[in-house]
Amino acid sequence: MIQLFLQKFKESTLSILAITLILTGVGLITLKSISTGHEGNYFQQSFYKQLFFLLPALFAYLIAFFVPRHTIHRYIYGLYGFMILLILIPFLGQEIASTYRWIKFGLPFGFQPSEFAKWIVVIALARYLSDHNLEMNHFSASIAPIIIVLIPASIVLNQPDLGTAIIILVPVLPMLYWIGARPFHLFLMVAPLVSILTAFHWLSFSMWASIMVYVILKAKPNLVFSISTFFGNLFLGLLSPVLWGLLKEYQKKRILTLFNPEIDPLGAAYQIIQSKTAVGAGGLFGKGWGQGTQTHLKFLPVQESDFIISVIGEEFGFIAILILITLFSLFILRTMRLAYNVDDRFSSLVLVGLGTIFTAHVFVNFAMSVGMIPVKGLPLPFVSYGGSFLLSSYIMLALIMNLSIDPKKY
Amino acid sequence: MLKAANLIPQKRFIVVCGVVVILMLSLIFRFFYLQVYYHETYKQKAEVNRIRAIPLNAPRGLILDRNGEIIVDNYPTYVLTAIPGEMIDKHKNFQIISKSTGIDMSLLETNYKKYYRGRFLPARLAKDLTFDQLSRIEEHKQELTGINYIQFPERYFPRKINAAHLLGYVKEVDQALLNELNPKDKYLYGDLVGWRGLEKVYEESLRGEKGVYFVEVDAYGREMGQSPDYKKENPIPGKDLQTSLLISLQQMLENLLDGKRAVVLVSLPKTGAMLAMVSKPDYSPDLFTGVTTVAEWQDIISNQDKPLLNRMTHGLYPPGSTLKMITAMTLMEKGKVNYSESIYCSGIYELGDRHFRCWKEGGHGKMDLEQAVTQSCNIYFYHLVQRLTLDELAEACESFGFGEMTGIDLASEAKGVIPNSTFMNKLYGRWGWSKGHLLNVSLGQGELVVTPIQLMQYINILAMHGAAPALHIAKGNPIISSYINHYSDQTWNRMENFLRNVITSVHGTGKRANPGIPGLIIAGKTGTAQNPHGEPHALFVGYGKKDNELVSVVVLIENGGSGGETAAPIAGRVFEFLFSSKETMKLAFSS
Repeated sequence: MIQLFLQKFKESTLSILAITLILTGVGLITLKSISTGHEGNYFQQSFYKQLFFLLPALFAYLIAFFVPRHTIHRYIYGLYGFMILLILIPFLGQEIASTYRWIKFGLPFGFQPSEFAKWIVVIALARYLSDHNLEMNHFSASIAPIIIVLIPASIVLNQPDLGTAIIILVPVLPMLYWIGARPFHLFLMVAPLVSILTAFHWLSFSMWASIMVYVILKAKPNLVFSISTFFGNLFLGLLSPVLWGLLKEYQKKRILTLFNPEIDPLGAAYQIIQSKTAVGAGGLFGKGWGQGTQTHLKFLPVQESDFIISVIGEEFGFIAILILITLFSLFILRTMRLAYNVDDRFSSLVLVGLGTIFTAHVFVNFAMSVGMIPVKGLPLPFVSYGGSFLLSSYIMLALIMNLSIDPKKY
Repeated sequence: MLKAANLIPQKRFIVVCGVVVILMLSLIFRFFYLQVYYHETYKQKAEVNRIRAIPLNAPRGLILDRNGEIIVDNYPTYVLTAIPGEMIDKHKNFQIISKSTGIDMSLLETNYKKYYRGRFLPARLAKDLTFDQLSRIEEHKQELTGINYIQFPERYFPRKINAAHLLGYVKEVDQALLNELNPKDKYLYGDLVGWRGLEKVYEESLRGEKGVYFVEVDAYGREMGQSPDYKKENPIPGKDLQTSLLISLQQMLENLLDGKRAVVLVSLPKTGAMLAMVSKPDYSPDLFTGVTTVAEWQDIISNQDKPLLNRMTHGLYPPGSTLKMITAMTLMEKGKVNYSESIYCSGIYELGDRHFRCWKEGGHGKMDLEQAVTQSCNIYFYHLVQRLTLDELAEACESFGFGEMTGIDLASEAKGVIPNSTFMNKLYGRWGWSKGHLLNVSLGQGELVVTPIQLMQYINILAMHGAAPALHIAKGNPIISSYINHYSDQTWNRMENFLRNVITSVHGTGKRANPGIPGLIIAGKTGTAQNPHGEPHALFVGYGKKDNELVSVVVLIENGGSGGETAAPIAGRVFEFLFSSKETMKLAFSS
């Protein structure tokens, strides 16, 4: 038995594992730097806690790696249903920081089930898309997949956790594209969202309207359809400020909080500025381990998790950032390559979906810490502090390595 | 199940990879831009300077009397704070502070724990620092990394009036309070928020807006001056609240009523503006400014006279004979009384097996309506009220605002109880109550209870012949609503004559309310309300008119005995105070 496992392990793509271990190491080194000089015993320091979290993560990794793919395929719908229940449970529990993401066991730390929703949704979607012979030329084929992602995403959005909701939603686009959906259809899915978001800014709304005209003309659907799409979106956009006005004050606040969690008047743009200063001050080679004055710092909250990149940027410099981005790119492109090469469609779709999750996490995390996008709390895979996410990331890694092996052998 | 083959067009694979590569390249470009291209700028920023945001507290608006005299003021105090993440050695810092300022070490520790919000946010260590203490801390500034002080305006009460029930107080925002407050209002730990009375009602305008400025801090936490990168935002001070109160009158009444349990309210019926509002016993308004000792506090809450109770708006009292005007006017308006009709008062009235007594032993003799009001004859009213139903009477009471909040600009008030037949049925059952209850209610006794502020509104409606603007304390408060009662002019005028006779007639119960100032006309009614707590409550409601100026007064003295003997003289003092000289009239009536 162990022999078989070892054999399967040898067959898998070890380069991905190697990259992951390097990333985990970088994370630990950074956490150690942050922890240095802090009060409190070992178990209050993020470094030791993260080290401790690695144990369950590795255990989960082993399980996810050795489960045969047909087992995953068979039970994923059940798991999907169970996961929906699980992400509903926190609504019954205590509010933590006025959100509902955590389930408490009475252990000294909480557990965030929505982390697991990310990859469960991807696998369930992959099964649906590979089991059915879908006519991807028709838009109707995309409706069921959208519902599969929309249910958990809307629950998570109500927790409220926009970041995770986005991560759950995003993979559906490349996965549909992967198996032949028309790009125009994908455009139709994204269009209403963009219409609503641009509606609050006159110039961007006009620009968006022109883009719509261009895309619709290019796609050449029939006249009635194009006109109704165009004006439907336009109408939706024009309606949204009106609907916004009808919302209660606390509802507005809740939505605004999703986009910008920092409502503290003294801390709004301040956090981003501090993060940028830290990164910029790092320069090419950084100030050295434990030497980041910005980091040690005094200013950034959640530097262990969401803003860990500012710490790395300041202490290890652009070279380290470049290496990190390269490692992540290799990891992701390697996953996509495996998805392209693997023999069965189910595995291929899972790999694309997981690759997308990693891409979204990496991009959002890096981009927000240098002010490219609004502050959105998404941690950096393998590097950021956080137990649930570390566990989830290692499971996703295991799934990538597991499903990319030649299915005939295992 | 896993049969579906993987047939991905190469083009699509390339597109997906392309998107990933573009995203990653954009990140690399951005980091290169910040870390290499703009490195020097950021390096200077980070190494020489770190930025610290310092909130600037906005002073609360002052509370003024009608002539601009300050009732509630601010004075600057200093608050000592510590930024946990910047302190190198907390224990040593606290030791230095404790040694140099004399502040107890354990107090510092307790406050530090209590106000700790995060590693980089200032936690309050102590407040009300003296200049001497500040300068000592300044001497040790080099050693005390992470320790700062900020100015903090505290409430201060310069005049010797209490008026605590009405001014209310401010409370320091702590975690529990923070959860209660609307997050939209952006309160922070340690801020002050109006929690009772005027401070609460006018919180929004009194509060002002916080400012913020950013200082650059060197690696040792020393402030190096204001940061050029961030604009300083000056705090916007709160707006002053000008009230309609006359501070000298308030002061006179507070002294006059010391040691009693009593309420005195004075207002201008034409505008509804309050001139004085006294609820006794009271307490000093700085009880809540933070320096209260446990002993002081125990003293207040264990006091049987309940000084914390705002009797003006929350004290529920039977109005006694002061309610007779309603019964009389309803009878008149419905044509159920003949003005020449006389009833004989023998001092006792029998209804079934119950005996109702007049306040005057031996009786008043023959009484008509006018005499019955003037001399407050109970027997007359016992007879005549039987021509009305309980619901008719209750409706009339409600038309004078009883049973409803007056809407005065204090944070809350009680509604009182006006019993109608539904209410009585619920309380006693369909057959459980009788005419006897009606007799009680018509004399402002029994189940019927009102608040003094409702009595104020009632007498204003009488003074204004039906259209009295809503009561308010803030000056310039727009007139929100007026009470319009649909009684005929004849009824109003007749009632006013009756009420003047109460003061002027030989047998009038309210004679003592008249200070005897030439040209001053006074109308009013006394009340002596039976209650289960001992001696009856003494009441007087009335108004005075001179040179086209109108003032109304409500006096209520708990267990004070006869309204004519104890309450009316206090109203007399108010009229005397306001009308005796041109100067006081000017202070009171100039708008």
